[in-house]
Order: sequence, then C-alpha cells, then structure tokens
Amino acid sequence: MLETQQLTKKFKDTIAVDDVSLVLRQGESVGLLGPNGAGKSTAIAMISTLMKPSSGDVKLNGKSVLKKPGEMRRVLGVVPQKIALYEELSAYENLKFFGRLYGLSGNKLEQRIDYVLELVGLADRKKELVKNYSGGMQRRVNLAAAMMHEPEVLIMDEPTVGIDPQSRNHLLETIRKLNQDEGMTVLYTSHYMEEVEKLCDRVYIMDHGKVIAEGTKEELKAILSDQETVLIDFDQNYPELFTKLSEIEGVQQATAEEHSLKLIIPKGTRLLAALFHEAERYGAQVVNVNVQTPTLEDVFLRLTGRKLRD
Amino acid sequence: MGAFLIKDIMLLLRDRSELLILLAMPFLLIAILGFSLRGIFSGDLEALEMDIALVSQEDEAQAVASLQSDIEEMGLPPEEKQALKQAAESASPQTMLVSLLEDESLSELVTIERMSRAEAQESLDEETVDAVITLPQGFTEGSLRNMLFGESASGELELLVADLSSPQTDVLKSILNEFVRTVNFEGSISRLSGQQSAAEVSGGIETITARQPITSFQYYTIGMAVMFVLFVGSTIAGQANLEQKQMVFDRIRLSNRPPLLYLSSKAIAAAAIVTVQLTLLFGLSALLFRTFAADSWAFWLGIAIISIVLALSVGCLAALMVAITLRLESDAVPAIFSGGIISLMAFVGGSFMPLDGMPEMLRTIGNWTPNGAALSAYFSWLLEPELGQLTGPLLRIAVVAVIFLLLALAIFPRKGGAA
Repeated sequence: MLETQQLTKKFKDTIAVDDVSLVLRQGESVGLLGPNGAGKSTAIAMISTLMKPSSGDVKLNGKSVLKKPGEMRRVLGVVPQKIALYEELSAYENLKFFGRLYGLSGNKLEQRIDYVLELVGLADRKKELVKNYSGGMQRRVNLAAAMMHEPEVLIMDEPTVGIDPQSRNHLLETIRKLNQDEGMTVLYTSHYMEEVEKLCDRVYIMDHGKVIAEGTKEELKAILSDQETVLIDFDQNYPELFTKLSEIEGVQQATAEEHSLKLIIPKGTRLLAALFHEAERYGAQVVNVNVQTPTLEDVFLRLTGRKLRD
Repeated sequence: MGAFLIKDIMLLLRDRSELLILLAMPFLLIAILGFSLRGIFSGDLEALEMDIALVSQEDEAQAVASLQSDIEEMGLPPEEKQALKQAAESASPQTMLVSLLEDESLSELVTIERMSRAEAQESLDEETVDAVITLPQGFTEGSLRNMLFGESASGELELLVADLSSPQTDVLKSILNEFVRTVNFEGSISRLSGQQSAAEVSGGIETITARQPITSFQYYTIGMAVMFVLFVGSTIAGQANLEQKQMVFDRIRLSNRPPLLYLSSKAIAAAAIVTVQLTLLFGLSALLFRTFAADSWAFWLGIAIISIVLALSVGCLAALMVAITLRLESDAVPAIFSGGIISLMAFVGGSFMPLDGMPEMLRTIGNWTPNGAALSAYFSWLLEPELGQLTGPLLRIAVVAVIFLLLALAIFPRKGGAA
C-alpha cells in the first residue's frame, strides 16, 4: 500500500535519513523503533509529504506521491510528536476547525467530532480549553484531530512521549482497536520498545539514519535465538567486578546499571561458576540471577551496542 | 476561508495581552495625550485664550505725517511721491498689527485692550492680562522706512508675558513672528511695485490658524489608531510562527487546502481585526471624549472609506510578515516589527507629533507609510470633507499595499519546503 524506496535526507553535512526502504501493507501495524536522533521523525515527515527527500521515493499504491501529494494526504492521518493543536481553543473547537479544513460541515462534522472524541475518551470534556488538559489528554486530542477525515493510514510519531501511564495505556489501546477492529494501517514510531512490541506486527529498527534490521518481532528476536540474557543483581555497585565479569569468555554484551549487570551470552555458556568465583574474590553478594528470553531491547543492544534510550 | 477567519478571531479574543495592546493601550494613550497636550493644538481654543494689553508709546498719525513730509521733500517724480505717501498711510504697521489681532480668525483666541504702559504693567503683575505688546516711540516710522526704502532702522516690538513657557506665549510669538515676516514681505513688494497691499496680511495669518480645527483628542485618536493597527500585523505573524512551531501549520498543509488560502486568510483576518479595532477606537473616543463633532453620515462614510483602505493595507502588511516569518521559521520578524519598526513608522508617520518642523525627506517617507498616509487622509477629511482630498493619501496607501502583497506572494513558502 505504502512504501519508501531508498529514502535519503541530507541537511548540509548531516545525513538524517540514509537509504531507508520501508513497506506498509494494508491493515498492518508496523513499528519504527530507534533511539532519539535515529532519523525516525525525518523519515515520517518525508512519508507524510511534509518534507522533500534529497533522494529516493515515496509511493502510495505504486504511484510516487512526491510531485502530487494530494492523494497521499487524503488517506493519511498524521499524529506528530508535538501537540499540533490550538491551546487557546477547546478540543471541540480544534476538531471543528480541522474538520472544516477537510471539507466536513453540518451534521456530518458534528457526528465525526462526537465519534473521535468518544474514541479518545474525551467526549465529556470537549468544551475545555486544550491548555487546561493534562499532557495525556492533549495527546489524545492530537490523535483525534488526525482522525477527523477518516484516514486509511495512521502515522504516529512518538505519540506517548511525556504522558502518564493511564493516558498511555488508553492511547495504546485506542491504536490497537483502530488497527485490529477497524483494519486501519498503522505506522508507529517510538523509542519505547515495549509499546512497539505490544502494538506492531512488524518492526523496522533505525539507528544513525539507517534501517539496521527489519522483520516480525519473532524474526528479530531470532537474531538472538542462540543467545540468552542473564540479569544478575548484586547487593551494591561493584564497577571493577562488573568489568571483570564482562571479560569472561563468551560474553558478547555487558550492560551495567547501578546494582545490576546484564550479560548476553551464547546459549550453554557455563557462566555461574565463574560468576560466583569472581563475586567471592571481590567480596560481592549476588542477590538474584535471572535468565531471560531476549527482548527487542536486547536485539537493539546487540545490533548497535547501546540502549534504545541512550 | 471562513474556518480560518473564525479561528483567528477566536484566538485573538482569548489572548488578553494582545487585546490589551490592540485596544486598551491606544485608548489609554488617547486619554493621556489628549488631556495633557490639549494646549498645543490650536483646535483646543479654550486652553489658548489670552488677554493682551497693547501699549503704544507714539502717535501713529503724527509719525505717518512726519514721514509723508519727508517724502514730499525728496527729489522724486510727483506720481511716485504720491504713491509712497499713500503707501505710508495705508501700510502703517501699527494699524496692521491691531487689525491682525482683532481679525475674525483670532477673535476667539485673543482679546485686545489698549492701555498705558503703567496700566499694562500692573495688569500683567495682577495676571489680568497674559501679555503686553508695546509699540515703542519711532516704531511706525522705523518700520515704514524699512518697508518703503529698505532702510535698516526698523521698529522693534516689545513683548512681555506672564508665563514664558505657556502654550499661549508660543502661539503669540508665532503670531508676532508671522506679523514681522508679513511686514518685511509687504515692504519688499512695495519697493518693487511702488504700491502696497494690506489685503495680503490675512493670507499670512492663515498659515498660523490652518490647524485650528484639529483638537488634541482628534489628533491623538487618529495618531494612536493608525499606529496601533500596525500591531495587528505582528500579532498575526506571531500567530503564524506559533502555528509553525507547534506543527499546526503542517496539519493545515496536510488538509490539502491551497497554501495561498492560508496566506490570504491571514491577510483578511488582519484587515477584519483592524476594521473592528478602528471602529471601537473611533467610536469610544467619539462617545467618551466627544472627539468628532461631525455626526453626519457623509462624515462617517469618509472615515469608513479611509479605515477600510487602511485595514486592507495592514492586511497586506500582515501577509508579508507571515510570509517572511514562515520562510525564516523564526519569530524575529514580529518581534523586531513590534519592538522597534512600529515606533519608527509611527514617528515618521506623525502619530506622536505633527511633522511640520521635520526635514522634508522624513515627511516624504512618513507620507508613504500606511499609517502616515492614513493620518494625512483622516486630517484632510476632518478639515475639509471632500472626497477629492483623499485621492492622494489613499492612492499612496493602495500602492504600498500592493507592494506588500507582491512581496508576500514572492516570499511565501507555497510548499513549505516540502513535497
């Protein structure tokens, strides 16, 4: 339905997006995962026809949209990272304005406003000014505004940044419903691994402007199928011990965090004996050892050598 | 278009600080300046009324007769002698000064009473008169000799005033300076043509009284109104900058509406806001300060025509500022405009004070600013409500508006730098 071909965006000396090719099939929910600065928002801006690529193409149903963005804009609902609303207007007034821009009027406009407000759970507070809403409520209206013209594809750029868990869950549940119940195609960008894991069928992982991995969640985790993640909790922080443990033969990745150490090792590696031996040498007490199945976070760590939120 | 317009007006109505700048501040300034500077506008006659004592220390008739006798003894042809004697009699400066001060155009302003030197001094001390004009011995003959023969022995007037810094003193000094200039001018004419024309005197005086119908309230209502409408331009550009920053502008672009619709909606919103702003300022000033005595439909129609042309011009200015703001992706343009350029435009446009004494170039620039040209149009209409008077200033506003609009269309990022 929607695809990008070798999409590239250069800003003076920086390449923000480098040769990115994505595919969105109808009804799919696709995640674009990457840390801040990975180039996700720039890629989204180009796909949304808001930014011209330096090279490459964006196609809708096989036709390039770069010169004639009209059709693409008609089917797209874009939820930007910022709250793209008038703070001095109420949710209702905002939706009415954006609805009228899309040519809605009269009963149809009122019905659509009621529907999207119901969808985001703000029907009973529609007359309040947006500036008086919590961050989470503002993000919900941000989504509602993108839904006014009944789009076929919803593109969301980090829609849950800085909101409370309750609003976050509400928003994620709304997106899940739109995708699964109404068949809406969703492109969801985030640096929250758990959101992408929860919502998306397929995932593209971006870093430094490039797609470094793609596939279903299972396919991506299969990258680590011959590996396992061991999380070791200590009674306190032991920097020297952590360094020593990360040098044990077979350890592919080590990440220290306060009193914990996370190690990615090949399956079958005999780690425990060495672990307790070194712990005793450093006078450290091992509180807990947990062997985990890999997450997308682990996949990202394995691919880039750093965490998603670095 | 309607959606944009309603939205822009709703946003403005909910922005108290902008409303304060656009409506409350000009109204406050009209009140403060209108009351405090009432004296320096000759339309406010009550504040400028003055009682003057006139002291003559010579016998005018005797001085004229003495001069005529001297002319008779000159070795000139009889016709020339006759003409000079006649000129000496009819161009007597003392008579001209009294005629001037008692002229109909000044009668509302000046009350003249002839007194002796001692009486005049006493009245001045008791502040029953505001000024004493003394015509010293030899004034008439000296002045006439200066006028008719170009001799340097010109007579000098003596002016005593109760308060040197009062506006009445300024006005009186202006009148007397004009009188002296007129006398010198008359003298030049007489010498060239051998005859004088006292009738020319009133022409000289009219230049002083030309602004009489404009009161300080009229001046500052119009001056502040044409200045503060310019703030609408920066308000609208500031709003566009916020829309761009908050990505609302992107949302508008995604709606597939023609980009120029956005620009034109900004221009129309600005013009609509200016129209409402001018209506409120003029209406309130008329109601509360009785600024405009004329209550005929024709008078208000003229004011409305000027206001609409000015509003459209500010709309085009707003469009230009929106275009630059979106192109630069910065709020610098509205900030610089409201922080400095408006004050400059207001100054050269004459919003703070009349530009009579200013350099010609400054006045020319002022006449080509929308506010300066509108000020000029409003004043012309107040003084003489004839449509022909408005052609010049309204044409200037229209030309500037078209330039603003063409620049806005050239600068406006129709694709926003995107696909």
